[in-house]
Amino acid sequence: MEGNAIFQVENVTKSYGGIHALNHVSAIFGEGLTAIIGDNGAGKSTFMKILSGVTKPDDGKFFLKGQPVHITSPVEARRLGIESLYQDLALADTLNVYANMFLGRELVRRIAGVPLLDERRMARLAAETLEQVRINIPSVHTMVRNLSGGQRQAVALARAIHFNASVLLLDEPTAALGPKETDSFNRIIMGLVQGGKTVIMVTHNIPQMMDMANRVIIMRAGNIVAEVRPQDVTQEDVMAFMVGSRTLITD
Amino acid sequence: MVRLKDLRPTATLAESKFSLLQSPYFISNIRILGILVLLVIGFGVLAPGFISVASLQSILVSTALFLLLALGETFVIISGGIDLSIGSMLAMSGMVSGVFMSRYYNNGSGTTIALLGLIIALVVGLIGGMLNGVVIAKLRLNPLIVTLGTMGIFEGIAELISNGLPISNFPPFLFVLGNGGWGIPWLLWFTIAAVLFYGLLLAKTRFGRYIYAYGASKDAVVRAGVNTTIHATWLYGLAGLAAGLAGYLSAAHFETASPVAGSQYLLIAVAAAVIGGTTLQGGEGTIWGTVIGALIISVLQNGFVMIGLASFWQLVAVGVMVIVAVFFNELQRRTRIASAGRTADYKAQRKPFGRAG
Ligand SMILES: Nc1ncnc2c1ncn2[C@@H]1O[C@H](COP(=O)(O)OP(=O)(O)OP(=O)(O)O)[C@@H](O)[C@H]1O
Ligand SMILES: [Mg+2]
Repeated sequence: MEGNAIFQVENVTKSYGGIHALNHVSAIFGEGLTAIIGDNGAGKSTFMKILSGVTKPDDGKFFLKGQPVHITSPVEARRLGIESLYQDLALADTLNVYANMFLGRELVRRIAGVPLLDERRMARLAAETLEQVRINIPSVHTMVRNLSGGQRQAVALARAIHFNASVLLLDEPTAALGPKETDSFNRIIMGLVQGGKTVIMVTHNIPQMMDMANRVIIMRAGNIVAEVRPQDVTQEDVMAFMVGSRTLITD
Repeated sequence: MVRLKDLRPTATLAESKFSLLQSPYFISNIRILGILVLLVIGFGVLAPGFISVASLQSILVSTALFLLLALGETFVIISGGIDLSIGSMLAMSGMVSGVFMSRYYNNGSGTTIALLGLIIALVVGLIGGMLNGVVIAKLRLNPLIVTLGTMGIFEGIAELISNGLPISNFPPFLFVLGNGGWGIPWLLWFTIAAVLFYGLLLAKTRFGRYIYAYGASKDAVVRAGVNTTIHATWLYGLAGLAAGLAGYLSAAHFETASPVAGSQYLLIAVAAAVIGGTTLQGGEGTIWGTVIGALIISVLQNGFVMIGLASFWQLVAVGVMVIVAVFFNELQRRTRIASAGRTADYKAQRKPFGRAG
């Protein structure tokens, strides 16, 4: 475990009827990129949804920078600096780029006491953020539905960056993207990681994670079965953990 | 290793000016404004009296009542819903307020009674609309069905409180409001104020932004931390409020409140919004577009009368306009999907009226 523990979870448990989606899962996330991999139904998305406040766990404790926190809703998670990118993105297609970035946190200025949207300031700040992280979008006034899948991901990402999230949760963020878009998305992520963010990414792309991640967590049937550093293992090792032909927990 | 400087920045700072031109509705609003102007010129040529102060004023007055309904309907349709109850809401609030005014008015000009009547009509409309909103959001029911139900309920109430009879015997001050004026008719002052209020609310406030966002993606709004139940309650409440004002002004203008007042307005209110560029899929539309759409309908109605065409032609013309407007929306959407072929548009393919919760 390199760096400090930024985000720590203990004993997170969730069942759906008879299905144990998560079994007393504990993990510590530090700065850098942690990849979560595992077979279909391993509980990865359930884990991410609990961390982002979308799903309520049956049990579990959460600590952010050592302090116990209660992640009761997506809004609360955001307030704590935990931002997530969902597979479906949750962007409003008919709103433009900056309106999406500021959705729910619009900037207003008071005119005769009435809070009116400060469009200019939102547009300017959005453009600044996009420029900062070198996200390639023609204009912040573009309706989001006119953007490509990769650009849409970038908008969602820019939102997290603008509001200065310390923890970023990504559930298969590049699943719907082409190779080129995946590439540029990953570059942005690497930029954030270099900037000291804590990024937790669920993915099925093992080779890519062996390149990018600082740590890899492998899940199977609702459990964390291994936690490894990519340089210590081979892809075959990781696959073996995933399917259960190896069960040793290393670090 | 990634080097950030390899990536080219393209989002520029210089683009935060000219917000009007950057509105996605600018072009489409100009286009329908052009249609309106062409219609006015066309009727002006065909019927010499058409372009006169008296004729234009009567067009504006005949627009006022259904435009008020259309303002609230625009909000609701942009949010991805529909409100079928606003016509009966007009009748119900006009009746409740009318019964109050006729019962308590004795003599004199009745200014106080008439103003209390206004407040009553607004409150009845607001509460009725909020009930719609609560039921739709809390019980997660389809707005089409809920407001179809309340359409009947509100009309029933309007009939019930007057035994199905129209009422008059109103204070004279009410007639002043309905037919007098200050430069322009009072009716138009009220309507202009409402247009400004609803237009500002939709375009310039957080509340308005969430109407668009909800119509585009319910998830986005929920995850943004907006309380959608409260939002829907106010949204439908505001549609009711506008209908309440229309009910009051209808009583004032026609000097009578009737349980079937406004029944013909529902469809033209929806038509005005749709002609004005509001799409039934939700997420798109403007108050300005609706105002122009309403004026187009009125110009058609009045113009056909003035050139001596039978009045059913005007129904046909409005119907054709609606279908053409929907067709153009649909065409644009399909080109967008075809040209991009991307997943981004999957949400735009939803069926309309899908709002629930
Ligand atoms: N809302 C739900 N109701 C019932 N069961 C659920 C629900 N969400 C998840 N599950 C179950 O919990 C288990 C874990 O699901 P989860 O979505 O977390 O898997 P995953 O690791 O993300 O899989 P994938 O790689 O396919 O995305 C599965 O058996 C799934 O069927
Ligand atoms: Mg999943």
